[in-house]
Formats: sequence, C-alpha cells, structure tokens
Amino acid sequence: MFQNSGLSLDQAPPISVVLRFFLGGSLWGVVAGLWLMLHGEEALDPAAPAALILTHLLTLGVMLSFMLGALFQMLPVLAGVSFRQPTLMAIRTQWPLYFGIVALIEAFSTAQKALYLLALLFLGAGLLPVASRMLARLYHLRNHSPSSRGMGFALYNLLLLFFVGAWLALLVGGWVSRGDLLALRQLHLGLGLFGWIGLLIVSVSFQVIEMFYVTPPYPKFWARRLPLGITGLLTLELVAALNFPSLLPWIESLVLLLLLIHGLLTLRRLSQRQRPLADATVWFWRTGMVSLVLAALLIVTGHLMPLPRPFQDLSYVLYASFALSVVFAMAYKIVPFLTWFHLNAQGYFTAPMMHEVIHPRYAMRHLAIHLTTLFTAIVAAFITPELWRVTGVLLALEFSWIALAIYKAWHLYLHVQATEERFDFGGMEAK
Amino acid sequence: MQISNYMTHEHRACDTVFAEAEKAAAAGDWAEAEKKFLEFANETLRHFKKEEEELFPAFEAKTGSSEGPTQVMRFEHEQVRGLVGKMADAIEKQDRDAYLSLAESMMILLQQHNMKEEQMLYAMCDRVLPPEEKSGLVDKMEKVEL
Repeated sequence: MFQNSGLSLDQAPPISVVLRFFLGGSLWGVVAGLWLMLHGEEALDPAAPAALILTHLLTLGVMLSFMLGALFQMLPVLAGVSFRQPTLMAIRTQWPLYFGIVALIEAFSTAQKALYLLALLFLGAGLLPVASRMLARLYHLRNHSPSSRGMGFALYNLLLLFFVGAWLALLVGGWVSRGDLLALRQLHLGLGLFGWIGLLIVSVSFQVIEMFYVTPPYPKFWARRLPLGITGLLTLELVAALNFPSLLPWIESLVLLLLLIHGLLTLRRLSQRQRPLADATVWFWRTGMVSLVLAALLIVTGHLMPLPRPFQDLSYVLYASFALSVVFAMAYKIVPFLTWFHLNAQGYFTAPMMHEVIHPRYAMRHLAIHLTTLFTAIVAAFITPELWRVTGVLLALEFSWIALAIYKAWHLYLHVQATEERFDFGGMEAK
Repeated sequence: MQISNYMTHEHRACDTVFAEAEKAAAAGDWAEAEKKFLEFANETLRHFKKEEEELFPAFEAKTGSSEGPTQVMRFEHEQVRGLVGKMADAIEKQDRDAYLSLAESMMILLQQHNMKEEQMLYAMCDRVLPPEEKSGLVDKMEKVEL
C-alpha cells in the first residue's frame, strides 16, 4: 500500500549519494573562485561571456549540485519520496550534468553553435529525468507541507528555466527566430534566481528554521501561499516575456518584495529561537537573509531607476551571498549529522559524534572567511576593482575549506566502517 | 486530524523542554540541565510508549501491515533511546562539549523522525481509523505511564 501510494518511510539514501553532490558542488565553487580570480572585473559585466560563465558555474555547478544532494536526502523525510536505486540515479544525473556544464562554458567562450547543442543534450540528460521524477512523485503526494509544496514549485520552475535556457540557446544559434532575446534572457534570469534558487531556499527554510533552531513557525497563510504566489507571478512573467516585455520589471519587483518579506520573517524567527547557541550555521542563515533583503531592495530600486555600476555589482554580490550562505549553513548541519546517523544506524556504537566529524570551530573559521569574502567584494565594487581577483581567491578558499570538511567526513565514515566493531540489528538498519 | 493534533502537540512540547536543558548545559547550570533533561527524557519516552503500545498496533490492525512505516519508526525510537542514555552520561560527567554535540545529533534525529510521523504516519492514522476509535485511542494514550 505504501509503495503504491508513493508513501514510503524507508530510511535515507546511502550517504555517498548526498556527499558526492556536495563535494562536486564545492569543487565547482573552487572553479568559480578561480574564474573570478583570472577574469576580475570582467566577470561582473553582464554583457561579457566571463560573467555568463561565472553565473552558470555558481548556479549549475554549485547550487544545482547542493540542491540535488539535499533533495535526495530530504525528499524521503519530508515527503516519503524515495528512489529504488538512488546511487545509480545520482551517478546518472551527476556526470551528464557536469559534462554539460563544461560544454556550456566552452559554448559561452567560443560561441560555437554545436557546443550549445551538446551542452543542452548533456544538461537535459542529467537534469530532466531526476527533476521530472522528483516532481511527479511530489505531485502525487497526498499530504503536503509548505516545504514539500515549495520544493515542488521550485522544481517546476527549474524545468521551466531549462526550457527557456534551451530556447535562448536555439535563438542565439539561429535555429529558431520567435522570441525577444532580451525579454527571454530576463525571464531566464528571473526563473533561475527567484523561481528556482529563491523559492528553493524559502521552502527549505520553512522546515529547517523551525526544526534546527526551535523557533515559532512561519505564519500559516504565508507558508501555504508563498510558493504558489512566487510561481504564479513568474508564470505571468513568462506570458509577459512573449507579449508585453515592458511588464517584466514590475512583475519581478513583486516577486522580490515577497522574497524580501520572507527574509525579514526568517531573521525575526532566528532571533526568537529557543536553542541558545549561535553556532556558525545560525550566522550563515543571518548573513544569507540580510543579503537577501538588501539584494531585493537594490534590484527593485534598479527596476525603478538606473543604478550606478557599483550598486549593480553589489546586488549580484548580495544575491550570491544569500544563496551561498544558506548552502553553507545547510552543509555544516547535514554532513556531520549524516555521518553520525548512518554509522549509528548501522550499529557502530563508536560512531563519531557530530562535533567530532566537523568541529564547530572549523565552521566558525569558514564563517570568518565567508564574511571576509563578502567584505572584499563590497570594497571591490565601490573602491578598488582590482580586489575582484582577491575576492576570487577567497571564494576558491572557502569552497576548498568546505570541500575538505566533506572529504574528511566521508573518509572518517569509511574508516569507521572498516575498523570498528558493529552490532547487528538483524537486518533493520539503514543501508 | 485528531491524532495528528494530539501527537504533534507533544512533539513541540518536548522540543521546548529540550531547548531549556540545552540552554542550562551551555551556561554550565548542571542542576537545571539535569532537571530539564529528565523532564525531556520522560516526556519523550512516554510519547514513544503511547505510540508503540497504542497507536502503532491500532494502525497495524487496520492496515494489516506491521513491517511498513511503524517498524521504521520503532527502529528510530531505539536510536533516540540510545542517545538519551549517552546524553544522561554526559550530564552526569558535566561534559559540556559532549552534551552539546550529542544534543545536536538528537535534535536533528528527533526532528526528521517527527517530520515523517507528522507528514505521513499520523495523517495516515487519521485517514484509516474511524472517529470513535480515534477518540478512544487518545483517551488510552493519555493514561499511558512510563
């Protein structure tokens, strides 16, 4: 009955499924940092291929990897949605995606038409099966929480984003002629930054803020309606992009106002938390939410009047800080927990505790590097453009920092499995 | 939603006492930490007993399955019981680091367990059990003692 109705309370997927995506995402983050180091200010100029490449390294490379790892882990818990062969599915998703990213970067730098097609083929092969299956399973779920509903909408927006991206590629390549390039580009950006990444983080926060930090819940109406509200507005944006491009900034501003309010609500909840310790993850969430609020204000202002270049750059930096801060906040909870959880469930009584997997001080040091990166980027935007290269170095450093933590956790996990004594639960344990 | 409401309310109450114990341990107030932790442990274990002795058997009788979700929930209860023991040890030794580290695992373990119950199991119970049986169940669970 449970399998047929899509409700399965099976244990989590193997730890390698999650860690492979997290590690992959971190390594793409290192590449993004190095890219910024090599290209400096040019990587912030929206008209330059270098900026397109940096954006896609951070979104497809980092965000998509972390999202997939987290969804493989969270969907069974949140929604009883799990897959029969998660490891195989993870591999079949990850490799085509990563080849696709390389092809896309090559396509952006060389403008060779065939490379766009190759990138589309690989990205589609990696993304479409997993995203559509996750979405289909979520669609058939009977009891939705705000989180599972929001993730469903975020996945829907991701698929839409892919198709608009494909359309753009075909338009640039001259294979199709319908559609206004600038409007479609704006739509692609809106869907990606707000409909997918923004909404995904909103959905995660609905569950995680209350759960990890013991805070009052979000207002019910807000939690139930926000995902649909954002997605509805972005769907309107799709129609506007095709017929009334001048409406795009107005619709996008409404989406941003919703995200801004959510940022403020989250900050309020974090200050009302019952758990006393402000560990690095609390500060990562706070950094992320303050960044979101300021980024939204700047982008909306930019829709009303032309923003000077430093403020434009600042809006990109802040929006990236919003997304990356939350990624780090999540990773520093999930990685040590899963390491302990799987070993403990397999019957290793000497399973390392969470602080032994990643010590809170290690995460705090990452926070310091992260804030320094943010500060350097702000100085680069307003005072010394040369500092963009230093920002790149720091970005690469912080992703190396987290990659090392994930690698060590994985290594520790395998080491305990290989050397410690195990109690047999009689076949009930997690895989 | 009778079962969902009743059981979810208990989850939240346990969270609050848990946070109070953690706060005391972080501040080094071990007497208060012990008091609150005991309260948390008793409430949690009593909640598990209500599920294992009343709610799960009723659900299993209705669905004819004792190897599905309830078995996984029982297994996770065992994991929580193991951690309760280790946390009690840390309180006895007044080992702040160990307590806070274990508290972190306990919190996530409990929350993901609660989520599964609240999102799926309780909702299923509310769906498959007839209203009069649900009222009777809540009355019986109220009377469960440790």
